[in-house]
Amino acid sequence: MRATAVLLAALLACAWQQPADQRAQVRALADAGRLDEAERMARGGGASLQASLGEVLVMRGRLVQADSAFRLALTSDVAGRRTAEAALAELAYRRGDRAEAFRRASVLAGAYENPTGAWSADDRVAAGRAYVILGTRNSAAVRQTLAAFDRAVAADSSNLEGRLRVGDLFLEKYNAPDAKTSFQGVLNRSPDNARALLGLARVAEFEGKLESTPLLRRAIVANPSLVSAQVQLARYQLEAEEYDSAKVAAGRALAVDSASLPAWSMLGAVAWIKGDSAEYNRTKGAAERLSSKPGDFYAELAEAAIRQRRYVDGMRLARTALAIDSSSARVLGLLGNNQLHAGNIEEGRALLERAFAIDPFNLWHKNTLDLLDNLRTFTTIDRGHFRIVAPPKEAQLLATYLVPLLEEAYDSLSKRYQYKPSGPVRLELYRQHADFSVRTVGLAGLGALGVSFGPVLMMDAPSARTKGEFNWGSTAWHELTHTFTLGLSNNRAPRWLSEGLSVLEERRARPSWGADATVEFLAAYAGGRLRPVSQLSDGFVRPRFDMEVILSYYEASLVCEMIEQQKGSQALVAMLTAYRDGLDTPAVFARVLGMKPEEVDKQFDTWVRAKFAVPLRAVAASDGKGEVGGAFVSTMRSAMTFMSASKLDSAKAAFQRAQLLFPDYAGPSAPAFMLAKIAFDRGDFRGALEQVQRVTSRNETAWDANLMEADLRAKLGDSTGARAPLERMLWISPYDIAIHVRLAELASRAGDHATALRERRAVVALDPPDPLDARYQLAHALADAGDIPAARRELLGVLEQAPSFEKAQTLLLELRGKP
Amino acid sequence: MRMTLRTLGLTLSLLCGSALDAHAQRVHVLIITGLAGEPQYRARFLEAAATLADSARTRWGVADSSLIVLGEDPAQDPKHIRGKSTKEEVASAFVRLSHRVAPGDIVLVFLNGHGAGEGPTSRVNLPGPDPTAADFATWISGFARQTVVFVNAASGSGDFVPVLAGRGRVVVSATKTAIERNETVFAKPFIRALTTGEADADKDGRVSVYEAFDFAKKEVGRLYEVDNKMLTEHAVLSDTAMARTVAFGGKSGSSDPRVIALVAERQELESQVAALRARKATTDSTTYERELERLLLLVAEKSQAIRAAGRKP
Repeated sequence: MRATAVLLAALLACAWQQPADQRAQVRALADAGRLDEAERMARGGGASLQASLGEVLVMRGRLVQADSAFRLALTSDVAGRRTAEAALAELAYRRGDRAEAFRRASVLAGAYENPTGAWSADDRVAAGRAYVILGTRNSAAVRQTLAAFDRAVAADSSNLEGRLRVGDLFLEKYNAPDAKTSFQGVLNRSPDNARALLGLARVAEFEGKLESTPLLRRAIVANPSLVSAQVQLARYQLEAEEYDSAKVAAGRALAVDSASLPAWSMLGAVAWIKGDSAEYNRTKGAAERLSSKPGDFYAELAEAAIRQRRYVDGMRLARTALAIDSSSARVLGLLGNNQLHAGNIEEGRALLERAFAIDPFNLWHKNTLDLLDNLRTFTTIDRGHFRIVAPPKEAQLLATYLVPLLEEAYDSLSKRYQYKPSGPVRLELYRQHADFSVRTVGLAGLGALGVSFGPVLMMDAPSARTKGEFNWGSTAWHELTHTFTLGLSNNRAPRWLSEGLSVLEERRARPSWGADATVEFLAAYAGGRLRPVSQLSDGFVRPRFDMEVILSYYEASLVCEMIEQQKGSQALVAMLTAYRDGLDTPAVFARVLGMKPEEVDKQFDTWVRAKFAVPLRAVAASDGKGEVGGAFVSTMRSAMTFMSASKLDSAKAAFQRAQLLFPDYAGPSAPAFMLAKIAFDRGDFRGALEQVQRVTSRNETAWDANLMEADLRAKLGDSTGARAPLERMLWISPYDIAIHVRLAELASRAGDHATALRERRAVVALDPPDPLDARYQLAHALADAGDIPAARRELLGVLEQAPSFEKAQTLLLELRGKP
Repeated sequence: MRMTLRTLGLTLSLLCGSALDAHAQRVHVLIITGLAGEPQYRARFLEAAATLADSARTRWGVADSSLIVLGEDPAQDPKHIRGKSTKEEVASAFVRLSHRVAPGDIVLVFLNGHGAGEGPTSRVNLPGPDPTAADFATWISGFARQTVVFVNAASGSGDFVPVLAGRGRVVVSATKTAIERNETVFAKPFIRALTTGEADADKDGRVSVYEAFDFAKKEVGRLYEVDNKMLTEHAVLSDTAMARTVAFGGKSGSSDPRVIALVAERQELESQVAALRARKATTDSTTYERELERLLLLVAEKSQAIRAAGRKP
């Protein structure tokens, strides 16, 4: 309301204002999205406002009229002629006339470098715009661009255009902190500046922060006609698989500027994803009319396809874009990264090197190229259906466990999903999480443990994280599940379904694997903070609070569990095939479940509330502010207080009460684990075992609880049963030599020579403190398993190093003469 | 001629490869523990000192008169600690040991605690004034005819090495420089190496200083790796060649002439194994493996005979 009054006053006053003031007023109206009024005012200003008129017409997509206005400005608008020159170069660039664009930009830049008269702040901004165009061919021009914009701001500190352009430039060159400072500088002077808000939204997205969407919405409120903000919103919605909303936002952009190639590209992407060929051809035609080189149209489509995990299509589209513009660093990078994700390392590297030569500021490309150098040192192990690529130090150890697990998963998943990948599945493991992150998204900081690009999987090696932070077996199983579900659906399964199935398959693989109900989940669910099924993909791509992504994984798995329970496991397979056939979610629900999305939402809510009826009564609904509460939390707090005060009887009673309130809770400090500890300390080994199993059967990272179970079973004489918790521990961390030795001994005692052998091999692979003794034990295991030649070879290797090693000498003598 | 050369090779290998047997010689041990500061360090320091002292006595046969343990407060472990680890007591302990040593003996000095200072003024915090690296250099200079193994397991201990290194000295520090001042974990694996058979890489029943150092260094790396921490201590050994020749532990030699002869025969065979290994690169792999197995079986038979002879009255 206040802004409106100010603008009205400005308009009334314009009749007696100077052209410079009038230009500022036109810009203010345009910044507020009042393009009709801005245009009227500019037209009213006559020849001296032609450049301003041209800028408004560009915003409205009237490019021919804009071109005329700018040309007129070159001769009649003294103050605006340099702006007009820059704008004409930009228009030429937009329509694909690169020669004209570069000619005009070069002339302007040349004039700027050899000035003959005064250069106003706007003139300097115009010079910067010329350098932006020149920079598409010469990366060195970036510095001149920045210098020109900086000088514009220095010449006139109130020149917001210069500050905004500086912000955009920093962001384009991957410098989010400086971009943020520039946009904040604009907002300090003009708190509702939509372009600055949009800039901050993009900075937040770059930094992976949650406030990106709220900032974008503020930008749109401040200026609903800001085409770039509408396009950005459409992109977000496309990413969240909200195609109708994306289409609306792109439509709003085109209503303002029918010549916006990015907006047409968004519409094209929606049409392509939905398989709407008529609409796709319409958008393609529009793009081709707007530019003789509409490479960005295909680049946008390629990015959208890849975001939807349709990698093969994405690469095809990127190739089309590259054929149009072979010097596009964006497309070269996109194609290069996807070659890498497809496992075509050398092709990917070559493309990225080309991209980096064009845009040496690109941090993603630099990081990835550095990582590829490191990847050359990795060990590749080809076995069965898999190619394991891991650091040499632990490749053999990890493959020893992974290959049998993955083969088991392959058999199980190929049967369930009636799909088999065409070639070997490549799994890369990284010792440094940052390397995994760079390999995946080009930057460090990705929160995920693993990523699937279909037949190429990447994940943290167990050494990348602290012991107990994750289960590397379930992670590998999870990622491999994507290979099958994405394969069956032709990469069209929505995010929630693909993730939900992966978590469900983790639980199916091993009872303790996969996410489980937590206090945080129940509190968020009860508080209505999690999305309904029909919007669940949003929970992954546009989280509204820190834990939403993690909780959405579990929620998605529950949706799959419910569908399987109510409609049978074939229903999940039928959903994947329905998506493959091009149906959208409402149509898939209708075909497979016979329900509308809102009915599925309602049914799921009823199902969850019934499934978790007991713990939901003991966990307070959370609004996200403050700590989680409820009877379970308060009872656990009092139990822990008793425990700290060594009042064990009171603690035990409180833990038992807590257990009744949330019987299946197996997370950190679970009542069952605490009760097991109390029982253990009191020598009640059977009672302790009963409790600790409640944790080990549900918590995939419970190292201490599994160790306790193994100890308890050993104390109770159950040496066979003690092997299971030790086996589970190997998937939490395979680096504890003592666990391997223990398992080897138990297996050997039970006559399970294959397991004993595997464990002895693992000990040797771990480079133990006493390597010769470990190799001697391996030789012994080989002999026990009947492989005398291998045992003898191993022993000779040991004794070659240490001829005096008596145990090895004795075994060598024992093996003499044996075949 | 061939025979003569082989014999010569054997003699050289025996001279160069054999470690100074700390059992055959006498071993003298001085363990010095500094100020702990916090209870967890106190427990750690006490445990390290006690383990090393017990092992010296039981595994290496060190006489009580040649075993001196000094600590922050003797009351903390009266069973092991003989006196307070003040500068005066430390100086006095060196004097006492100097009266007991004979030429060729081994003197093991094990220093543990929190380090400070740098260069010649590097020190470990002890009750009262701290002796410096230069002070320790002066004290060990009195053992010119002995082999001194000086281990400083304290934080910031690296500058002890250049100050103490020299002829007849093997100096080990937990850190590379005085700047590595974070708490160290080196002491525990080093003592484990000296006091168990785990570090005995060549399985000859003795642990050389080099084997102990190598074992401990690897274990330190592993401990940091498991905890996902950046390695902040880099142990240093002054003289790797000499460290291979000084060893602790081992079985007592037999005076039975039959056993002595068998041991000599086995040593001859082991030397042949060493000579074969030296020719590995130039020998056909099948021939090499066949000959290796033949020799190793002979070595194994000889060991069996030694054990049998040792059991006979």
